[in-house]
Amino acid sequence: MHYYRNALMHNLNFQFEVQPSSGVPIYRQVMDQVRALIAGGKLKPGDVLPSIRQMALELQVNMMTVSKAYAKLEAEGLLEHLRGSGTRVAEQAGLGTLETRQQELRPLAEALVKHGALCNLTDEQILTVVKSVLKEQQR
Amino acid sequence: MNATSQTIIQTQHLAKEFGTKRVLQDVNLAIPQGAIVGLLGTNGSGKSTLLKCILGLLRCSQGSARVYGENAWDLSAESKARLGYVPQDIRLYPWMLVRQIIAYTAAFYPRWDFKLTDRLLEEWHLSPTDLVGPLSQGQAQKLALILALGHRPELLIFDEPVASLDPVARREFLKSLLEITQDERHTVLFSTHITSDLERVASHVAVLRHGQIEFFDELDVMKDKVKRLRISAAEDLPPQFAIPGALRTEIDGRRALVAVCDLHPHMVEELKSKWHADISVEDLNLEDIFLELHHA
Repeated sequence: MHYYRNALMHNLNFQFEVQPSSGVPIYRQVMDQVRALIAGGKLKPGDVLPSIRQMALELQVNMMTVSKAYAKLEAEGLLEHLRGSGTRVAEQAGLGTLETRQQELRPLAEALVKHGALCNLTDEQILTVVKSVLKEQQR
Repeated sequence: MNATSQTIIQTQHLAKEFGTKRVLQDVNLAIPQGAIVGLLGTNGSGKSTLLKCILGLLRCSQGSARVYGENAWDLSAESKARLGYVPQDIRLYPWMLVRQIIAYTAAFYPRWDFKLTDRLLEEWHLSPTDLVGPLSQGQAQKLALILALGHRPELLIFDEPVASLDPVARREFLKSLLEITQDERHTVLFSTHITSDLERVASHVAVLRHGQIEFFDELDVMKDKVKRLRISAAEDLPPQFAIPGALRTEIDGRRALVAVCDLHPHMVEELKSKWHADISVEDLNLEDIFLELHHA
């Protein structure tokens, strides 16, 4: 236990903390802190995060809670899981999360869908157009 | 924890009566491997009875309780060896020494981890040479927990494990529980009414009310779904003001306080435009949620 605490906290110049009795689920508290640390530059692309086990022991919370937070951050493109060497901050994390980058496309996608409906196209037919454009761009 | 994980405990339409008194009815629970389930309920809600039905210490009046796929009432010795239980009222042999009662219990099991029990004795400040009889209630509870953990069971069932422990001992117990369960192979079901302990360790929460499971889900999902809306409308709200899925509605003129069990973002938008209202959404912790669930 103590070994973990020292190893973990001496490597990093900050501390994670959670308030279990808050109305905000613990996994979201962890996600918010990781996000803030990346946004604030305390965690940089390539930095390795504490393992799920270390983090769970350190915060004294269920491992599943931490693994859920990491998995969601991975899905957002903020973290990446490396087999054998843990979880680290993704290279493109500085570019903004996958979610925010996808958000950029939304207005265009909405316009596309609306226009498709005006042209009396089904969902599949609209997607076919998008796919064919993607295919042409790759050439 | 994934979709393919095995169901360790399953109850279907479980009911239990004592004479004419019905304690449990239509209890349906499916607990997957690796889950740490906190069973919450007020006094007399049927928590201990449910745990005993699952353990096969009580026979269900109707329905079934299955553990490792076997009928709980006829649980095989192999399955029993994979199970650890600490009841609410602990009975230990008062004339034994701590060391002796551990050796005595260990003799019943083919595999016993003395290293683990020695370590826990030390961590929980119990002396192997103390007599069991004069131990305080809290110390006896710690000892009972150690006796239930020694054979490294994959399924742990605790009835109010921390009820008589002081805050320090409670933290130590929870820490040990987290260490033991971190391989995600272990499944834990424990009853409690101390919601703050549960919030740290539990992956799932089951709320038992009037002998029925009122809520069973992941704790995070529960916190994401159950919210309190503070509504301030442009004009007085009618007395019949109601929101679907409301646990509790309190109306006071233009203002209302509504706890909902399944909040959707569009719900707030609809209410805002329908009543020209300002609405703030409040996060609730487990104790708040428990209270809201028991309001109706």
